[in-house]
Amino acid sequence: MDRRKFLELAGTAGAMAAGAGLAKAATKAAKPSDNKEKDEEFVAVLVDTTRCIGCRRCEVACAQVNGLPVPDPARDGALEKDRKTTVDQWTVVNRRETEKGEVFVKTQCMHCEQPACAAACPTKAMEKTHLGPVIWHPDRCMGCRYCMMACPFEIPRFEYDSWNPRIRKCIQCYERLQDGEQPACVEACPQEALMFGKKSDLLQEARSRVYRHPDKYFHHIYGEHEAGGCGWLYLSAVPFEELGFPTDVGTTPYPEYTKDFLLSVPVVDMIVPPLLYGLYELTSRKERVQEQEEGA
Amino acid sequence: MECHHFVDIFAMKGLEYLLAVLFLVTFVLFMRHLKRHAPAPRREPPPPPRLEETIVAPPKDSSGGR
Amino acid sequence: MSTVATTGAPPRRSLGEFILEQLRPHGPILTPFNIISAPIILAGMVLVVIRFWKGIGAVSNLSQAHPWGVWVGFDVMTGVAFAGGAYILTAAVYVLHAEKYHPIIRATVLNGLLSYMFYSGALMIDLGRPWHIVNPIIGNKFGYSSIMFLVAWHFLLYTLSEFIEFSPAIAEWLHLPKLRQVLKALTLPTVIIGVTLSTLHQSGLGALFLFNKNKLHPLWYTEFLPVLFLVSSVFAGLSMVIFEGSITHRAFRIQIDPKKHHEFDEITLGLARGAAATMYVYLFFELLVFLHGKHWRYLNTGWGAWWLVEMVGFVAIPLALYAHGYERRRLGAIRVAAALTLVGVMLNRLNVCMIAFNWKSPVKYVPAVSEVVITLMVVFLEIWAFRWIVHRLPVLREAPAPAQEG
Repeated sequence: MDRRKFLELAGTAGAMAAGAGLAKAATKAAKPSDNKEKDEEFVAVLVDTTRCIGCRRCEVACAQVNGLPVPDPARDGALEKDRKTTVDQWTVVNRRETEKGEVFVKTQCMHCEQPACAAACPTKAMEKTHLGPVIWHPDRCMGCRYCMMACPFEIPRFEYDSWNPRIRKCIQCYERLQDGEQPACVEACPQEALMFGKKSDLLQEARSRVYRHPDKYFHHIYGEHEAGGCGWLYLSAVPFEELGFPTDVGTTPYPEYTKDFLLSVPVVDMIVPPLLYGLYELTSRKERVQEQEEGA
Repeated sequence: MECHHFVDIFAMKGLEYLLAVLFLVTFVLFMRHLKRHAPAPRREPPPPPRLEETIVAPPKDSSGGR
Repeated sequence: MSTVATTGAPPRRSLGEFILEQLRPHGPILTPFNIISAPIILAGMVLVVIRFWKGIGAVSNLSQAHPWGVWVGFDVMTGVAFAGGAYILTAAVYVLHAEKYHPIIRATVLNGLLSYMFYSGALMIDLGRPWHIVNPIIGNKFGYSSIMFLVAWHFLLYTLSEFIEFSPAIAEWLHLPKLRQVLKALTLPTVIIGVTLSTLHQSGLGALFLFNKNKLHPLWYTEFLPVLFLVSSVFAGLSMVIFEGSITHRAFRIQIDPKKHHEFDEITLGLARGAAATMYVYLFFELLVFLHGKHWRYLNTGWGAWWLVEMVGFVAIPLALYAHGYERRRLGAIRVAAALTLVGVMLNRLNVCMIAFNWKSPVKYVPAVSEVVITLMVVFLEIWAFRWIVHRLPVLREAPAPAQEG
């Protein structure tokens, strides 16, 4: 059976909840709507940095699933360096020294609810799927790198060393999600530091953890509102600056920054030509009147 | 209650642009239409007197005022 | 003046002969300009081959933190602003009937047209997957939500309108009076559309950075960016017309009717006045943004000093020079002002696009020599094309009467 057909029949909600093993409440009755996916709530991943032990099995799983060079956590000593994601490392775990000791932080694409990259893309090559993941279409992208300019988290990566470069980043295992599976990194985590599910369920889970252990956690869920809300949520014992998170991204969804200008485009297109034509008529009539007066 | 689902604040953008283009095209046609139906300029050669008589004719004013 | 020799062949000659005759270089080959530009163009072409073979990284210092460098910052951002003279002057002449500026219209439009054509050429080097450049045009897919999409469309349509605006000169060159008449009739609507398109893509280039609230230094980031880009494109364009005009009038002196030389001085003075006025407006806009954002907080940092260099050194000072030059009728001062203004606009675009961009990132961007060589190649190629056309088409000189009739 075709994957899409399968989704239409089974409904994403059911598939997703089964995969998550969390959101029992999310077994919503399949609605008899054609674009069921559009009504679907986004999926998300909750990262509890207090649980992460820095084993980097998420990195390994990510590389295996996406056909990237597989790292060797036992030997490569990557935790000694401060790393960013790269074209072939879509997620990296960094070690941070904080007031509460050593903390490990996984980074990857945040899968914003209203992503800047998708709004910026002139060909819709960056696409926010109705399921949640932000994916990239190679047949559309012209390589302008505006997504990279626009992204507040500096996530899309460009293959500068290829004649046929691609934009590379975490796609939240979109294909696996469509098959009803979890993202590979979540599945690989031995500590349950990563948890997959519907965003509202994960938010409740995160809040209840903070509520139950108010001394253990810093009272903020990073990604709940950042950049208008993200598909990745983080819990931490220390303020998020100490973990190297950008805390200057604000809470406005990034497409809002361009909304007014984009609305002004058809407005200007409608105002300026008549204005110019009016000026043309007015200035030329003046000449005509002058000519007539001189002639009279 | 939060609802974290797909939002597209530019859903109407394509139609907005289409409307702008439509406006530009129709504006030209509209202005042409206006031009065609504009009254003939008054300083053109005087109309034949017979036609003038059929209308209620005020005393002729050389300045062209009505 | 040898207008007959340069205007083209008598109608009876065959097409092949006409083409050969037109391809032959006019004027000396070993000029200082050629000696400097030819090797750079050749080197640039080699680098372009390497770029398409090994990737953008092989010839540039672009990085994940700085995806746009001089190819976008200079070629596109600065180049488009410099080409702004065409929309301003066509509006002045064809819409507002400012006949005084008619003599420089063709050169300005040609310059704008060539700039746009060569910049889109340069864009092909910068785009990672240039074979997909038609995607936003043919609808695979229409990225309506994108400012880049908007800029791309306006860029394309404006290049087309500039071509139509310039096309009567081509018709005169080819002795096609009927066609010329048709094209002439298209001028007014094309100018009106062209000015509208320019308003939007000049401001759109600034709007591209509206996303960068947390990446662009606050001294440069503002919601006003589209307005600032639009206003600065006006004086950038006018300054380019002055600057380019003072060079072409020296380089192509024989093409110009001696009676016109005085006329050109008057035109330059008028342009200087326009540039001064718009720069005055721009300076106040910048002050408004400065106050609105309480930007004095940043003044005693390195970024603040750099911002002051841009604002005082390359906006306020050329503005004063323009005003002085206009009042005292000093063309020398006006030319210096034009050059300073051009540097200032370039500085502004580079600041927004790469220097003050991602300013918190530890990764800095300094263009590679090969990037600069490719950029210079584009500039020189454009000048070569401009020269080729000016030598052959009625751009600076008047076309002979028979070619104009129709």
